Amino acid sequence: MFRRVPQPPVNPALRDLERHDFWPGFVAAAIGVVLCYCGARHLTNVDTLGGGTAWETQLVKAFSSGGLQYPNQIAPPPPPKLDDPAAQAEALDRWAKQQANAAPLTWKVRVDTGAKTPCPT
Amino acid sequence: MISATRRGRPFSMECPVPNCQQRPPTALGRKLSRARPWVQTGLLGVWLAPVGQWLHGIPGCVFHCYSCPWSSFACPVGVAANYAALLPAAFEAPYLLIGLLLLTGAVSGSLVCGWACPFGFLQDLLGRISKRKISLPGWVGYTRYVVLAGLVILLPLILGFRGIPYDEQVVSICRLCPAGALEAGLPYSIKSVLAGHGWLMSWFKSAILLLFLAVALFVHRPWCRIFCPLGGFLALFNRFSLFHLRFNPKECVECNLCRSRCSMGVKVDQKVNVSGCIRCLECTTCGAIEPCFAVPQKDSERIPKNPA
Repeated sequence: MFRRVPQPPVNPALRDLERHDFWPGFVAAAIGVVLCYCGARHLTNVDTLGGGTAWETQLVKAFSSGGLQYPNQIAPPPPPKLDDPAAQAEALDRWAKQQANAAPLTWKVRVDTGAKTPCPT
Repeated sequence: MISATRRGRPFSMECPVPNCQQRPPTALGRKLSRARPWVQTGLLGVWLAPVGQWLHGIPGCVFHCYSCPWSSFACPVGVAANYAALLPAAFEAPYLLIGLLLLTGAVSGSLVCGWACPFGFLQDLLGRISKRKISLPGWVGYTRYVVLAGLVILLPLILGFRGIPYDEQVVSICRLCPAGALEAGLPYSIKSVLAGHGWLMSWFKSAILLLFLAVALFVHRPWCRIFCPLGGFLALFNRFSLFHLRFNPKECVECNLCRSRCSMGVKVDQKVNVSGCIRCLECTTCGAIEPCFAVPQKDSERIPKNPA
């Protein structure tokens, strides 16, 4: 169902034929194929939780499954809880020292390849 | 011929174009018009593959939320926004995403919008419910590039530099996207309600979904025409893609059928390979607009742009 659009006619003889040249499209498509191939074999700079380096496909999958991990999202280990008050104080002291001496995280982002968050946002 | 003539009544609109009512749609145009909904339905089997979780590592070439329980591929828009937000932490070029979109755009332009996109198909179906349609001015199509530059690239990038991961960014394309609300938010919320945990989707996103559904009844493909950053990007290739629409002046009787068939508001009678076109190929019913594929030509075979 549609209605005719009334408008002054244009002269078909003066209109551009809009024929596309082959080569611009072909070159762009060829670059696309090369980039797809490179992307499929591309190892990123991002590490995985397992210690290796993530493939580009793993990184893309991490976007959709909430698999990116940032340092500020890593919670420090909880303080120990013991029944004996003396041991508790000692353990807390040891835990505090461990936290103070803990080396700062050197990585900026990591990929959890096993993440399966259905909707990250 | 066409609806109004078939019923034996003249067209209600006084058309100044001669031959207007005598021009029947071509056989090719009729075939394409009939085939399109079936092709769109068939391709849902590709985008909604229930066993397709393993393909989330590959960006798709259509607008389909990767959080949808049945999505096969990753949403290219979401992937682009994630890459932008990731940039401050790790400089990574999205080879796969750019390569796939470049390949799709260079070969077919925005053909996937008209024939493959599941969200576009949904809007086509919604548009059939109401016959009253509101026409939009042509300039609204440029807002797609504002969305692409602002919401998909710049905003995630700026917030990423402020140390906010994409998933925690309060304002992002994924949080505003009606496709995400419909394809992911709605199924998970229904599942949650059935499990007795209440409605999961935020009221804001629910309101966006309702507003979108309401607008889609009265505006043909509102998301595609006003907001879709993917459609905007692919449409940039319409001017030189291998698959394109060609004007045949010998077939043109100035009946204006091409423009009348265009539901996207493209001035087909002036230029057809423009950024507003989704390549639904409805305009080919007039016979003067022909779908074709660019082939290499010798210089002697080249036809001048304007034969006059």
